[in-house]
Amino acid sequence: MTLSSIDATSPREALARTTDIPAISAVGVSKRYGHVMALDGLSIDIRRGEVFGLLGPNGSGKTTFMRLLAGYLLPSAGRLTVEGLDAVRDSLAVRRCIGYVPESAPLYRQMLVGEFLAFMARLRGLPEDAVGAAVERVVVELVLGDVVGKPTRALSRGYRQRTALAQALIHDPDILILDEPTNGLDPRQIIEMRELIRSLAGRHTVLMSSHILSEVERTCDRVGIMLNGRLLGVQTMADTPDLESWFLSLT
Amino acid sequence: MRTLRVLFAKEVSATLTSPIGYTVAAVFLLVLGYTFSLTLFVTKVANLQYIFHQMYVLSILLVPVLTMRTFAEERRSETLELLLTAPVRELWIVLAKYAATLTLVFGIFAATLVYAIILDRYGEPDWGPIYAGYLALALHASLLVSVGLLMSSITESQVVAAALSIGTFLMLWFADSVSYLLPPPFDSVAINLSLIGHFKPMVSGSVFLSDIGYFISASMLALFLTTWRLAQR
Repeated sequence: MTLSSIDATSPREALARTTDIPAISAVGVSKRYGHVMALDGLSIDIRRGEVFGLLGPNGSGKTTFMRLLAGYLLPSAGRLTVEGLDAVRDSLAVRRCIGYVPESAPLYRQMLVGEFLAFMARLRGLPEDAVGAAVERVVVELVLGDVVGKPTRALSRGYRQRTALAQALIHDPDILILDEPTNGLDPRQIIEMRELIRSLAGRHTVLMSSHILSEVERTCDRVGIMLNGRLLGVQTMADTPDLESWFLSLT
Repeated sequence: MRTLRVLFAKEVSATLTSPIGYTVAAVFLLVLGYTFSLTLFVTKVANLQYIFHQMYVLSILLVPVLTMRTFAEERRSETLELLLTAPVRELWIVLAKYAATLTLVFGIFAATLVYAIILDRYGEPDWGPIYAGYLALALHASLLVSVGLLMSSITESQVVAAALSIGTFLMLWFADSVSYLLPPPFDSVAINLSLIGHFKPMVSGSVFLSDIGYFISASMLALFLTTWRLAQR
């Protein structure tokens, strides 16, 4: 099926009707900071609706790849498409269909949780009459009812992470990018976050990063292993009975 | 435009919930109040020229305190990542911060209108230089805020941003004083870059388009460079 054969009003609507086109596609994507090659010729396709995990040690290029997808960075070379849209040329359109949670889960400290979510909803272009409902939806979905009236600076790490995830979901994006979503959480919060991410699969394509093998193993449908800015391999979890051995053999 | 409004409201709210804006306003108005009373009682002349010059100097020292956090704080706390990954043009982010900071500065300036009212009540001031003086201050503030934003956009340290801003303002202030050391045509370039050289005539009531053009073009250049800096990824 080709795009031109689909009767739709926008390329994004057209893409939504087919699963042939990957949600994310990178071809030879590189990112260089001066003399440092943070990402070196990465090529990958991420399928619609799957939970894809990027596994690798710190500095392996996971965050750089996610920042490229989210539009925070621009690639030095290669082609990156999100929902069939060029991440550089159609950057604004790409950013509309992505929800992104950076590793540190940044929030505006002077705002209340509800204010912050409403601000992010407006920033992401939701019509004014839909903002309240969107905030209510994510507050229920992420169980933030107890803290919605609290300042974000008073939140525990777990609620902070949930609030950050809520802002990423506020515009109901097709793609969620979660950089180390379980970082700093206690065991109970890790389990809750894992269940939350699993519940998002299908409705959203989820790309998450982690340097913890067990997290990726339990959360993701497919996993890619990165080291020194290179993608060393990609496998489905079903084909990877022993992730640890595979990881060690590659790295 | 709605995005600009949303960002502007967020910036104003951030300013009002931070003690920095109130502190700057208090220091500014305290020093000016003292100077105004002293000048009025000593000279007994109904003009604000001295006050305008004082506001010029105080703005150079205090506007960097307002602008230093604009981008540096967002970069340090990583909230800039939220803004730049939202479907928002960099220009809107810059303009919102510029407009919000300028609004605060204008608010502080507006409080000094009480001096003009006092002069009007007890004397017969020449209103031409007063109107021109406020125009000069508005243009001066625009330049300071836009350069301050630029400096804040290139570092994540607020102190470095403030130091860079003050350094730049002082260099612009005294640009004409080094002109005699320079060969033509650099001497005239230095004279034309001078901040005080374009401010002084307006405060005395002589409004030239070249002076207005200097402030507006310098502000636009700084805003353009700030937007360009944000777009460098």
